[in-house]
Amino acid sequence: MSTKPKDGTDIAAGLLLMAAAGFFGWQTRALEIGTSLRMGPGYFPMVLSGVLFLLGLVVFLRAFGREDDEPFGKIAWRGILFILPAPIFFGLTVRGLGFVPALFLTSFIAAQASVRMRPVPALILALAVTILSTLIFSYGLGLPFRRFGPWVQF
Amino acid sequence: MDLISNLALGFSVASSFANLAFCLIGVLLGTLIGVLPGIGATATIAMLLPITFQLEPVSSLIMLAGIYYGAQYGGSTTAILINMPGESSSAVTAIDGYQMARKGRAGTALAVAALGSFFAGTVSTFLVAIFAPPLTEVALKFGAAEYFSLMVMGLVMSVALAHGSVVKALAMVVLGLLLGLVGTDIYTGAPRFTMGITQYADGLNFVAVAVGVFGIAEILRNLEDEHDREVMTKNITRLFPTRQELKQMIGPVLRGTGVGSVLGILPGGGAILASFASYTVEKKLSAHPEEFGQGALAGVAGPESANNAGAQTSFIPLLTLGIPANPVMALMIGAMIIQGIVPGPNVVSEQPRLFWGIIASMWIGNLMLVVLNLPLIGLWVRLLTVPYYVLFPIIMAMCSIGVYSVASNTYDLFAVAFFGLLGYVMSKLRCEPAPLLLGFVLGPLLEENLRRAMILSRGDPTTFLTRPISATLLLLSLGVLILVFMPQIRKRRDEVFTESDA
Amino acid sequence: MAYPRLIGALCATTMLVAPAFAQDWPQRQITMVVPFSAGGPTDTVARMVAERMSADLGQQIIIENIGGAGGTLGAGNVAKADADGYTVLLHHIGMATSATLYRNLAYDTLDAFEYVGLVTEVPMVVVSRKDFEPKDFKEFISYVKDNADNLTLANAGIGSASHLCGMMLMSALDVQLVTVPYKGTGPAMTDLLGGQTDLMCDQTTNTTQQIKGGTIKAYAVTTPERLELFADLPTAMESGLDGFDVSIWHGIYTPKGTPAEVNERLSKALQAALADEGVIKAMADLGTAPSPAGDATPEALKTKLETEIARWKPVIEAAGVYAD
Repeated sequence: MSTKPKDGTDIAAGLLLMAAAGFFGWQTRALEIGTSLRMGPGYFPMVLSGVLFLLGLVVFLRAFGREDDEPFGKIAWRGILFILPAPIFFGLTVRGLGFVPALFLTSFIAAQASVRMRPVPALILALAVTILSTLIFSYGLGLPFRRFGPWVQF
Repeated sequence: MDLISNLALGFSVASSFANLAFCLIGVLLGTLIGVLPGIGATATIAMLLPITFQLEPVSSLIMLAGIYYGAQYGGSTTAILINMPGESSSAVTAIDGYQMARKGRAGTALAVAALGSFFAGTVSTFLVAIFAPPLTEVALKFGAAEYFSLMVMGLVMSVALAHGSVVKALAMVVLGLLLGLVGTDIYTGAPRFTMGITQYADGLNFVAVAVGVFGIAEILRNLEDEHDREVMTKNITRLFPTRQELKQMIGPVLRGTGVGSVLGILPGGGAILASFASYTVEKKLSAHPEEFGQGALAGVAGPESANNAGAQTSFIPLLTLGIPANPVMALMIGAMIIQGIVPGPNVVSEQPRLFWGIIASMWIGNLMLVVLNLPLIGLWVRLLTVPYYVLFPIIMAMCSIGVYSVASNTYDLFAVAFFGLLGYVMSKLRCEPAPLLLGFVLGPLLEENLRRAMILSRGDPTTFLTRPISATLLLLSLGVLILVFMPQIRKRRDEVFTESDA
Repeated sequence: MAYPRLIGALCATTMLVAPAFAQDWPQRQITMVVPFSAGGPTDTVARMVAERMSADLGQQIIIENIGGAGGTLGAGNVAKADADGYTVLLHHIGMATSATLYRNLAYDTLDAFEYVGLVTEVPMVVVSRKDFEPKDFKEFISYVKDNADNLTLANAGIGSASHLCGMMLMSALDVQLVTVPYKGTGPAMTDLLGGQTDLMCDQTTNTTQQIKGGTIKAYAVTTPERLELFADLPTAMESGLDGFDVSIWHGIYTPKGTPAEVNERLSKALQAALADEGVIKAMADLGTAPSPAGDATPEALKTKLETEIARWKPVIEAAGVYAD
């Protein structure tokens, strides 16, 4: 395709590593560095950020003049959209809704990540997961979660 | 013979009907809860701990020890089957174990793990029985400088975890080290990288990071193109290893047991390194290092044995000093205290029934584990035939519960989502998660011991070289470093030559 | 963000209806929040008393461990919980010291809670590595004063019992030792056993067995009275260190607005638990004793918290360490 071969994946990796190093380095600025003899909280992270930046730079530079041997491939947008919010949702609702409804909705949301999962089987699956987990964790092990929280009590 | 009469006392205590039953219940419960994805040994024990409070001291601790082994074994099972390590040691198992599973050899991987663990457990139980007191003396010689040098060695070894680019692996280790520093600085109390969120003051939750970068990233990868890709091969040919495979695992298991036993004794976190160190050793010694990362048998057998041996010998500091080597041990101390036994140097002489009973039950627990799990392998493997789109919502539900149950911290669940995304991006960029995880575990230990050593030596950096154990460890690290980079350099030279030939 | 407002509204409604059901309380299980991880010393104390309190109340008390940030996360959680008597907090001296140690607490320590009572006050012991030279506490005082620059003082991290006691020790002796923080008592004790550090001051729960085993040396106790357990150990105060009185006291709290009747009832249950033979025995094994019935009351805990906040504030500020 392009005239000069370059490894797009490693370019991205290098840039990402340097960005991460930048973030940590930037966050370190408020911390006291100290001396090598009496190190402050910022000393070790500062050194590490520097090393990470250098490594990122090496990855970035070496990416030029080389073919990308494994293309980037598809991105699981649907997965990202439904899998990642599932634990967040659980965390936000487990106290308010209680263990049972929060878990049911969490499983249901996660199930949406697959195109093969139809709504009715998803409901059945979420229900089964909820019933079994409630039996195991709440009744069996007595975990201190309220089964139904204040938001669903009337 | 003191040892024999002591062991006889131990076995007589541990093999009473009730204690056998509690051991079995512990192992069973530990395995069943630990095998749930996203629920590691610490969460399992935290969940099951209250059950043991009602029992009499010996039974309670025997059951708890059983839960511990069971949970560890269960954690390895999920690491192999669905790439979900529940703790740092099984992160190593996940590397090759999961690849074996993808190639239809899940049964072999699980059997090798079980047999290796059992062997390691047997050997190290005897080590505990024979050498507990003298080994304790050695462990106490380890100060901050020694731990720092040990962690340096661990870091050097971590490079071997990578099967791709070494530079990227190093970058992942460093990123892991930085992530490990998130939280309150123990020396000054300054919050670091917490972005003002108090919930991260004690650092990021290990399970959240591990489940994120390994498990969730893998789920996302599998969801990429559901239409034309089969996630798991369903034609699993055989469940148990062939005679040849059994022969192959002898070396790795023996070496793993040795490495694990030695590291497990150190109360300051040596056991963490056990499986990583064993992996490095096996990869270096292997005639086919290129198989590592693609489903090498030795990459499962060695680390699993090392892990179990380390788990066993880490009871030494607990029983002889009353000092916990890891969070799980800390929970056990709590259990002892609730039972009215305050652990300390006198437990051996004051409570011989308890001390030797626990040691004997360790072996019995390991035996039960292997007897229990070999038949279960068929069942676990069959789990893989469950359609993936049914499996992963269950995984998400379980890991939400598991992560939340550790400290009821909502922010740990946010971390799961964040690290899932990070892990996915990393895998897209061909960066491997295992070195990151090792860095994450070692980061705080490395910094803590470096700074402590400097404080204790009043700012004299030669302390690392003048203390003999520390100097030896650093020398060893240098040796490993040369070993690791030599083939790299040689390979590059070869590449250059081939290119010029062409 | 409609979510906090929703909680606010719910809290308001529960407060309105609270007095109506105070008489029928408790109707369901009660959650006792322990702001430290399961299996730790505070968790142990909580589980001991919770079991007996459950029996007295006729409802199960379950323990929820919400660890993190020196106990302030768990306390913050309870501060926000419904004031219906079904969420209680068991916290130790950190409740008072965190008011100064943490400069951005999510709650106002003196204004966010109601009081149930004191549970126990765990004494502390000044200990050293086993080959430390001084023979008794008198010698210890002069030795430490003379060699302050060369001695190391271990603690289990900022805000920990050993950190607090260490600060008190240095301030009482008017010396500045080299402080070596650890992550938890375990590693701190290991290094003291191995002779890597010189001194520590920690709760009897952590030190008793080591002292008895001869692996560390004990010099003095930090309570006004000598302990039955170590009758030959002097108190720091009788040896001339005025005001050196540190104990790790534990108290039970409820969220602000919890009906007084409920707190009274909880306090009764606590007193019953503290009088229980099993609890007394279990605490004695740890080198401590239940608080007297007169201290297991809302008023006593309130006074304790107020005086302790005032007492530690200057000590912490002088040391200049903060945990946030």
